[in-house]
Amino acid sequence: MPDKKASENLKNTGYCIAALLAFAFLMFPLYWMVVTSLKNEIEIFKVPPTLIPHVLNSTSYSAQLKHGDFNMFRSFKNSFVISSCAMLISLVLALPASYGIARFRFKGKRFFILSFLVTQMLPVSVLLTPMFILFKNVHLLNNQFSAILSDATIGIPFAVLILIGYFASIPKELEDASRMDGCNRFSAFLLVFLPIASPGVIVCMVFSFLYGWGDLAYGMTFLQDQTMRPITAGIFNFMGQYGTKWSYLMAFAVVTIIPVVIIFVFMQKYIISGLTSGAVKG
Amino acid sequence: MNRIRRFFKYGNIGYLFVLPAVVYMLLLVGYPIISNFILSFQDVTVMTLNRPLKAFVGFRNYRLLFGDGVLQPSIVNTFIFTVCCIVLQFVIGFALALFFNRDFTFAKPIRGMLMVPWMIPMTVTALMFKFMFSSNVGIVNQFLQVCGLIGKPIEWLLQPRLAMLSLIIANTWIGIPFNMILISTGLTTIPCELKEAASIDGASSGQSFFKITLPMLKPVIGSVLILGFIYTFKVFDLVFVMTNGGPVNSTQLLSTYSYKLSFSLFKYSQGAATANILFLILFVVSILYLKFVYDDKETN
Repeated sequence: MPDKKASENLKNTGYCIAALLAFAFLMFPLYWMVVTSLKNEIEIFKVPPTLIPHVLNSTSYSAQLKHGDFNMFRSFKNSFVISSCAMLISLVLALPASYGIARFRFKGKRFFILSFLVTQMLPVSVLLTPMFILFKNVHLLNNQFSAILSDATIGIPFAVLILIGYFASIPKELEDASRMDGCNRFSAFLLVFLPIASPGVIVCMVFSFLYGWGDLAYGMTFLQDQTMRPITAGIFNFMGQYGTKWSYLMAFAVVTIIPVVIIFVFMQKYIISGLTSGAVKG
Repeated sequence: MNRIRRFFKYGNIGYLFVLPAVVYMLLLVGYPIISNFILSFQDVTVMTLNRPLKAFVGFRNYRLLFGDGVLQPSIVNTFIFTVCCIVLQFVIGFALALFFNRDFTFAKPIRGMLMVPWMIPMTVTALMFKFMFSSNVGIVNQFLQVCGLIGKPIEWLLQPRLAMLSLIIANTWIGIPFNMILISTGLTTIPCELKEAASIDGASSGQSFFKITLPMLKPVIGSVLILGFIYTFKVFDLVFVMTNGGPVNSTQLLSTYSYKLSFSLFKYSQGAATANILFLILFVVSILYLKFVYDDKETN
């Protein structure tokens, strides 16, 4: 029936157009941010606004490189170090914990799971003041460890809860078989379980990194020294300094989301799986 | 020694695996929660921070807060902000989930790409919307002017109600993907046969939506709404960067007010008390959520 096929095609095209429109509308802010970072200050003020910059202007980026009175690449590096370390801590602690909870029966197991669930829902505000005093007392203020340690507290519960599911889904027989082949509990964990759970591990890496990358409150509060602060706190400072120099501000914002976009492009499937299994926005 | 060995022989060896993470969380989350609680009953300001002994003042911080004229509006603002965001992001997210659940060429790739707003740091989102809502260069005003809807620029972030509206729009933008993806996943669990059977029996699409889709999605809808409440209720970065509670506290939320008390006014105890109120409300909702999830598991 050619008629039916034609109408199917038409329907498909219609839906695709509608989807593109919705997409364009929802993603417009991001587009606008990129475009603005490439305009010069005069063009930004033009009414009606120009949807595509008339003159491509990369000064907003290059000015940062040349006379970095505000070094966005340094804060980029800071963020990278902080997020990576927080990610490592989350993984190193969450892997054994989730394995233990998934594979062994012991008292209080349910309580541990519930506690991790509840900590995921904690507001940062509750921890900020006492953590500030704690870090002050142990002389960790203005030391990137304070941001690393506190960012990891968001990653750990998430990673534990995600990984429990992966470890629990591995059949007991596999462990028995590996034990017979001469593995002890720890080598079985490393050689058998970890590879099977690797998609879960990647989900955890992605999210614990993103939590660290997106954090503003901890980095801004515990690190007062501008040279140590993460990029989010850098943007905030920059806003105070450059107020309405929007092309500079937008360039800064674009640089901040580059890693996020890269992670998204390569890890999309893991992100969706993480989100559906209960990720929080810290 | 033998006794220890016997203890760890069976399942109890699990404790060894859990221990490092639990100790870490107890030190960096458990201890701060308790110390935040204690702090809220002391009198700690920048003057008394370094003293070894801190005076207990009972409920004085809470009394002062309830009398300061900012706390109560902040509580109200937090609820208004949260409820408006949840409603908007849920409705839009649901509509998008239904739309992208249809079978067409671009459905999956576009739905995937719509996740990006959820992933980017809130600081960036806040800056972006601050720019779009700015009165002289913001695209929102430029657009409205070009369309002839307004004569002179609106000061979005400088008028109390409009500032709140701008925040709600920005936060909804972040929340839509979250709602959409969770509901999409819920939709895929509804067997197609059910709807086919209903349409053979002569049900209209509206009927099948209200009689099949909605009831089947009830658990998903429940958790999306409660989780949305929890995440929105504690939002800090977005508001801090976009309005910082202003103009004149009209967008002050519990989270930003607590921050202001502790780190701009250095009244650590009052900041802690405000955070405690936020915590208490969230804790109750979290328990409701856990009850909801577990009850649901048990009935299934």
